[in-house]
Amino acid sequence: MNSSPVLSVKNLGVEVGTGAGARPVLSDVSFDLAPREIVGIIGASGSGKTVLARALVNWIDPPLRISSGSVEYKSQNILDLAGGRMRLLRREIAYVGANPMGALDPTLPVGRQIVEKLSAVVPGIDPSEARKRVIDLLGAVRIPSPRLRFDEYPSQFSGGMMQRALIVDALISNPAFLVADNVTQPLDVTVAAQVLRLMRELTERFDTAVVFVSSSLPTVKEAADQVLVLSEGRIVERNTPQRLIDAPQHPYTLQLISQIPKIWTSEAVAVPRTPNAARPTISIRDATRTYLVRKRGTFAAHSEVRAVRNVTFDVMPGENFGVVGESGCGKSTLMRLLSRLEFPDSGSVICDGQDLSKLRGKMLLKFRRDFQLVLQDPFNSLPPRTSIGAILEDPLRVHGMRNAKEIRDRVLAVMAEVELPANLYDELPLGLSAGQRQRVNVARAMVLEPKVLIMDETLSSLDQTEQFRLLALFEKLQAQHGLTYVFISHDLAMVRRVCNRVAVMYLGEVVEIADNERLFFDPGHPYTKALLSAVPTLEERRYKPEDCLLEGEPPSPIDLPPGCSFASRCPHAFDRCHAESPTLTVRNHGESAACFLVERQGARAAA
Amino acid sequence: MSLAQTNLSLKVTAPEAQRGASLSRRIWKAALASNEFRVGLVIFAILGLAALLYPALSGIDPTKMNVAGRLQSPPFLGDKWNWAAPLGTDQIGRDMLVRSLVGLRYSLLIGLSTVVVMLIIGCSLGMLAGYYGGRIDMVIMRITDAQLSIPMIILAITVLGVSRPTIPAIILVLGLSSWPVYARVTRSVVMTERKSEYVRAAQLSGASDFRIMVWLLAPLVLPPIIFVSVLDVARMMIFESILGFIGLGVQPPTPTFGNIIADGRKYLLNAWWIATMPGVFLCLTLTSINLMGASLERARNRIYGGVS
Amino acid sequence: MFIISFLVRRLAQGALIIFLVTLLIFTLLRVVPGDPVRLMAGGMAPEALIEQIAKEMGLRDPVLVQFGRYMSGVVRGDLGQSFVRPASGASTGGSSFGDATRGERADVLTLIGETLPMTLQLAFLAIVFAMLFSFLVGIPAGLSPGRWPDKVAFYVSSIFISLPGFWLGIVLALLLSVKLGWLPAIGYKGFAYTILPAIVLAVELSPVLIRTLTGSISSAMMMPFIAVGRVRGLSQRRIIFAHALRNASVPLLNLLGIQISGLLGGVLVIEFIFDYPGLGLLTINAVLQRDFPLIQGIAIVTSAIFVLINIAVDLIATLIDPRLEY
Repeated sequence: MNSSPVLSVKNLGVEVGTGAGARPVLSDVSFDLAPREIVGIIGASGSGKTVLARALVNWIDPPLRISSGSVEYKSQNILDLAGGRMRLLRREIAYVGANPMGALDPTLPVGRQIVEKLSAVVPGIDPSEARKRVIDLLGAVRIPSPRLRFDEYPSQFSGGMMQRALIVDALISNPAFLVADNVTQPLDVTVAAQVLRLMRELTERFDTAVVFVSSSLPTVKEAADQVLVLSEGRIVERNTPQRLIDAPQHPYTLQLISQIPKIWTSEAVAVPRTPNAARPTISIRDATRTYLVRKRGTFAAHSEVRAVRNVTFDVMPGENFGVVGESGCGKSTLMRLLSRLEFPDSGSVICDGQDLSKLRGKMLLKFRRDFQLVLQDPFNSLPPRTSIGAILEDPLRVHGMRNAKEIRDRVLAVMAEVELPANLYDELPLGLSAGQRQRVNVARAMVLEPKVLIMDETLSSLDQTEQFRLLALFEKLQAQHGLTYVFISHDLAMVRRVCNRVAVMYLGEVVEIADNERLFFDPGHPYTKALLSAVPTLEERRYKPEDCLLEGEPPSPIDLPPGCSFASRCPHAFDRCHAESPTLTVRNHGESAACFLVERQGARAAA
Repeated sequence: MSLAQTNLSLKVTAPEAQRGASLSRRIWKAALASNEFRVGLVIFAILGLAALLYPALSGIDPTKMNVAGRLQSPPFLGDKWNWAAPLGTDQIGRDMLVRSLVGLRYSLLIGLSTVVVMLIIGCSLGMLAGYYGGRIDMVIMRITDAQLSIPMIILAITVLGVSRPTIPAIILVLGLSSWPVYARVTRSVVMTERKSEYVRAAQLSGASDFRIMVWLLAPLVLPPIIFVSVLDVARMMIFESILGFIGLGVQPPTPTFGNIIADGRKYLLNAWWIATMPGVFLCLTLTSINLMGASLERARNRIYGGVS
Repeated sequence: MFIISFLVRRLAQGALIIFLVTLLIFTLLRVVPGDPVRLMAGGMAPEALIEQIAKEMGLRDPVLVQFGRYMSGVVRGDLGQSFVRPASGASTGGSSFGDATRGERADVLTLIGETLPMTLQLAFLAIVFAMLFSFLVGIPAGLSPGRWPDKVAFYVSSIFISLPGFWLGIVLALLLSVKLGWLPAIGYKGFAYTILPAIVLAVELSPVLIRTLTGSISSAMMMPFIAVGRVRGLSQRRIIFAHALRNASVPLLNLLGIQISGLLGGVLVIEFIFDYPGLGLLTINAVLQRDFPLIQGIAIVTSAIFVLINIAVDLIATLIDPRLEY
């Protein structure tokens, strides 16, 4: 361990702008990277961690500027190197970023571009040798049929697959160290866990030292030997991950840790439940929605994308119902069905006893009033040229209110209710923060006094503090108006905090429905376990990713294989899973999971 | 933390936040701040004022013949210092400067009105196609394709060649044969905007399609298109002059760039200024408009294209 | 397989477009005022003769019947015969119209066939000139947005786009041909006669090309994989020529496809100026003589050219960028 460091950062400072207007982004950053060591760098957004990652590979473009210090590799400051000499060093210095889909030229096959890089940094390498090496490594990162994938284009790769290919691209020249900047950030949790595992495996195999930059402390904890905490461009703390978490020294570290949600060591909210209500508020029955996509290279043939398949569940009045799943699971399609933006191809959506597809005229307006949707994106959901007051008045006018004073009073009342200051009435939404914009969205929904609010990723774009505030607001509104909430989200921790009942979706199907406690402590479906195993948390894990998830990615929703859709990634899959598709099986009152193993358990219990 | 470990910071979305209201103003400001736009504006202002005022102030009738003073060369060429006709006279002694400036009036009038016609037709059809999609889109886009596939000048001269070319006819024909570009652009913007969340929100609150198109989408979609349509004013002025040149524009004795140049062409060898001088006027005007239009376009692209 | 289905689909679409064009031109020519027979027979011809001729030519049948008859010819590759041009040689004036010459009127297809190659030669040369010039000006501009090459490109394209082709043609013919005697200009007696008109057309065509090239290169240079490419160790030259240009070429190709009809429009006027015996000159004369079948034929042929070129353009674009679907 006494070997000299691979990389040595000394008093590094970076500023943005020039002259008097210059503002420091990084100041006085110093650390060493030993051979084979993995150093994690953690910081919130805006802490300067991406700038630091880029400085390490000499990628500082105006308006950014190095103001002091050095990044020493092989006892020379790479920041001083001219373009040509730096380029030769790229063989030994590798970088993987947070935007896998943008990292390669979309018009050329992935394999060819990796070969291109290899021959750029290792001039004179034999092309067929290079090709062989790329295919070998693509196989090593578990990209299925690497020989075929070599000739495919970036757009044919999923995000996770692309990130693997980029890890290959970075490690192909056997570099001395790798800078990994937020590599798991754009990926779904289950995929991120896999990519992380692979990266560790590969860097061990190649003896590569790694600087691992991330905004997620749980991820860094999994990956790194040493952790540096970056706050406002300075390193405020350095320790091994475990000690950092157990005994944080700096208040910023403390704050970082406190913001990480707890899944198993916290209490779920108690939602006052109206037991045995006469009829469910929303009842979705066997709904299926299929989109047709034209097949490339055919005349009129279409592929079916079955975005939502045989979904059935009830939402009772006064409930907080959650729908969770990763990207592509059909959440957004489900939202469109629930809000009558689209109709199911088969099955039905029944709200308050009315089939949505049969609603017309007055009844339709009543439905629109009772069921309101609060949208995901706080920036695009408000028309930019309209004042807040006018935005909120609009629904009232559409629903037939004419008296200007009444309208204004109603709007002001709702604004007060969602805690928006009344002086925003005549303002444009331009200057509002994300949290305020979401309040305007909530107000727009509330102004018609609805019974149900459907929240489509409503809180995803807000920071923790703002999330807490809005959740408190939702609770208050629920208590006052007896609202029913449907939360559609990818965020398990948020669902854990607010929903009393949760449906888990995978590839268009509901694979499990259960009460909050049961879902998080005793899930019935292997996919739920896999999700829980991959949630970034600092708590003792109830489920280990190694036990819950096989390598591989979700199959494409086009042309689904027969059998259980999770079978390809399920460690417990057996023959029957590949042949037959399991249906939801009741485990307990109101709780069910779509897995053959559940049936067995049930059978055993009965026996 | 969340499933995708989202790390959205407000900074990233800030340019997004400034959409709309101030955008048009920002485009104006950015364009006004560029030298190119200012150069264009100054040239245009001078020419425009001259066209507006000089014919009346000088009291010269652009159609008045003066056989004695015919084919006078412009005084700045040397020999005769006849400042009464600063740009010389044509084959029947008409004053070239006044004729050019009156031609400029017609040219601008036709160019501007044609663009208005194009905008109205193109944007409405594009809006319908983009908003409704499906069959309506199919039909409108096929018509657009068909129209794009014949050179508009062929269409225009065909119609004007067989009917009488009056000013309204010229405006209508030019406008009717060149709207497809606007239909395409409007359609593509509306197609992305109609899926946006605020449109969905409006739909959810029960607003009618018409209400959404006119009050929500149009104010957002049209300004950037209208900015760039400045360039088409210049393009249409060229077409107007081509029509005049072929003899299918506004008919003589009314002077237009096209018919002056066509006349002058016959005297090219001994009185070259007749054909070239109006052209210089036309070019200067077009350059000024194009400089302004291109600056606006550049400003728009920079502001809409956003910070990368 | 992909290529075949693509071609079949696009050709079917193209046929529809051409049909619409035919319908449009056909109705247009019949609703606008002005009787072609009156023109053909001359002002002096008695009313009865005009009616007789018109009847014989089927011009008094309902428009729909006329259109059906015309379309059935088009499908068989027969675009009809010119109203005014005899099969041999120059056009005849309206006054010489008589029963005897009617049988020997020229085939529209032959007339177009004779002039089209001349126009294609001119258009091709113009595109070559325009591309050379645009690449020379546009690429440096795209690589250094906001700096002097960009400004040069901006002013050059703003000025070029402001030069009306017919006027520039006259001025250049006066300068280069009459005064300096460098290039021949009027008529056609050999390839050299194509050069001057092609230069004028190229001046008309290049501003849009320069602007698109500048814009698409500078936006290609902003794409994330360009910056990442440097960090991955690719050389600047490779990044520009293998990646940025490749990505910038798709918008340029699309533009060329659209500009084809503009180019054909420009050809028309330029040929008229230079008395260049191509399709454009034929068109103008056809319009001035109200030669309806010829106008219709030319419209069909030009829109067919437009359709075919755009299919080719899209096919090349999909080969460059596999994400594109047409």
